[in-house]
Amino acid sequence: MASCVRASMSDNQFELTIEVPFPSQREVSIALQSLSPDREPGTGGTVRTLSASANALSVKWNAVEARSLRVSAGSFLDHLALVMETMDAFGQPALP
Amino acid sequence: MTVVIGFEGSANKIGIGIVRDGEVLSNPRRTYITPPGQGFLPRETAKHHRGVILTVLREALDEAGLKPADIDCVAYTKGPGMGAPLVTVALVARTVAQLWGKPLVGVNHCIGHIEMGRLITGANNPTVLYVSGGNTQVIAYSERRYRIFGETIDIAVGNCLDRFARVIKISNDPSPGYNIEQMAKKGKQYIELPYTVKGMDVSFSGILSYIEEMAHKMLSSGQCTAEDLCFSLQETVFSMLVEITERAMAHCGSQEVLIVGGVGCNLRLQEMMGIMCEERGAHLFATDERFCIDNGAMIAQAGWEMFRMGQVTELSDSWITQRYRTDEVEVTWRD
Repeated sequence: MASCVRASMSDNQFELTIEVPFPSQREVSIALQSLSPDREPGTGGTVRTLSASANALSVKWNAVEARSLRVSAGSFLDHLALVMETMDAFGQPALP
Repeated sequence: MTVVIGFEGSANKIGIGIVRDGEVLSNPRRTYITPPGQGFLPRETAKHHRGVILTVLREALDEAGLKPADIDCVAYTKGPGMGAPLVTVALVARTVAQLWGKPLVGVNHCIGHIEMGRLITGANNPTVLYVSGGNTQVIAYSERRYRIFGETIDIAVGNCLDRFARVIKISNDPSPGYNIEQMAKKGKQYIELPYTVKGMDVSFSGILSYIEEMAHKMLSSGQCTAEDLCFSLQETVFSMLVEITERAMAHCGSQEVLIVGGVGCNLRLQEMMGIMCEERGAHLFATDERFCIDNGAMIAQAGWEMFRMGQVTELSDSWITQRYRTDEVEVTWRD
């Protein structure tokens, strides 16, 4: 899966944006709703925002510390990979 | 007929079980086992769960002989437990619930243990001793809540046993508690340890510090064997648990005890509790390792009760929580 990453830094604020394309609106919506409910743990000042377009999931981070941004992004990618593997394995109901 | 699939992964076990109207159709499970001397950490445990969860899900469906379309509801552990493993399991539960178009229901882990114990043993209204690596509570049902009569004021009894096992490098395979139980059978000498019951509550951290401090000295000087220590620790902590359980029974006028949670499959604990029950003319209910130790079917069973009462969890409310007390849940399915 291709994704576009943009990172920048201004006023001691780190920002990271990832765009994850999906085959259809349905998969985008499922991924968004699976990944949204759990809040960012800790009080590291990292804010993660998820949003959906027609066929892509956008994730944006704003962080004060690069370290907490890296931890948050790393764990998000693990979660995203698991959701996508689950879709691949159980997404197409077997026809009788 | 109502078919519920349950996802559990709040600690080092990952289990997925399917229950159809009180019948367990499948209940596969994997355990993350660490080397002797090491405990399991949230990050590594979550990684273990991620690696096997889809295989376990496939097994659960295949063993039950069901297709996703046959399932009515997807239950998962909302808490309490370790954050990272809980999130891992909740992610898969949310994803399949959406893929299959099924409602989701978030289950309190402790309630899962209690409802599974009631289902398997047929206990009607027992005083419950819930003992595991993360929890130690004496519970009785009253007016739509499982009320906590007594609990640990520091660490869980299973945590005390697990950490003692680490001190003297007992294997974590299949579990430290099981290996302590086997070694305790060969213990010949009782070493006196602190006995810490405080009213209806118990404390284990002082006992652990004490035994951590003295174990190596006593072992190297040949004053006692590792087997003696296992025996003495079990006798002490289990006596404390039997004492507070008996007091809760007296308070409630209860004639039934149900032991649930991973430590609950310890046969010596069951034997000691059985002696107390016999003296009071009460009845003891316990289950074996399949249902005592964390498993998916217990979450499916509690989820089944909740779903039948019309309870579902919206995706936006399906966040996990590391702290979730047993008495926070309104028990809508009992009188």
